[in-house]
Amino acid sequence: MKISVLFFGVLTDVAGTGTKFYIDVKNLDDLKIRIYDDFPEMAHYNFRVSVNNEITADNPDLNDGDEVALLPPFAGG
Amino acid sequence: MMVMKLHCCRHLREDNNKYLEYLECLKYLKLKGNMSEILIKGPITPEIISGKLAELGNRKETGGHSIFLGQVRADIIDGKEVTAIEYSAYENMVSAEAGQILGKISNDYSDVRSAEVLHSVGLVRAGEISLFVIVSAGHRDHAIRACTELVELIKQRLPVWKKEIFEDDSHRWTADSQTIR
Repeated sequence: MKISVLFFGVLTDVAGTGTKFYIDVKNLDDLKIRIYDDFPEMAHYNFRVSVNNEITADNPDLNDGDEVALLPPFAGG
Repeated sequence: MMVMKLHCCRHLREDNNKYLEYLECLKYLKLKGNMSEILIKGPITPEIISGKLAELGNRKETGGHSIFLGQVRADIIDGKEVTAIEYSAYENMVSAEAGQILGKISNDYSDVRSAEVLHSVGLVRAGEISLFVIVSAGHRDHAIRACTELVELIKQRLPVWKKEIFEDDSHRWTADSQTIR
């Protein structure tokens, strides 16, 4: 199974990319650990997480094709 | 278009079944993940704005329009001038969130007949317009108050980020996107 992770705002600089794929991820907490392993700096930033366009503070199971986005505070306008 | 969505919503308010159909329609758009029509590549030009104003001539049921224009400021930060802002957006989420925001405005301000939002993505130079909001109502009170609230909701809830570009080509993500430590 493959999960796509989208980085936005300042996190694109931290990750050095806008998108990265992860395979064999059980749930959101599992994915976060993998992301922090890859980008330790990420732990210093404030962001929310969405799964398939829905912001969540829970730890949902992830399925093949899910889209997870890391969302720093919005700054539109 | 967002204008049409909100416009329909107003006329369907008294008919609960049709209103529910409208909500289903919004849900459909969300599921479809359509490319948001509110995002404009580059600045919102005087031509785009004047086109929107020209459309008002077709209206007969509105007594007032409140318009907000957001402009890129040439701030001086640590001695360097901001020459442009590069906007980025989570486009699928912008569509869904904009629908919810406009639905809230429609529910909270009964006199509002329509509302429309245009927001830039990509590079917008200092002095250019990056946000266009227009709220049309039967009377000025709801037009002005709903426009103010709509702008606030856009800033709070629309998944958009801005990168300030300086004269020496360095950049900085705006203060509200910065690290928490």
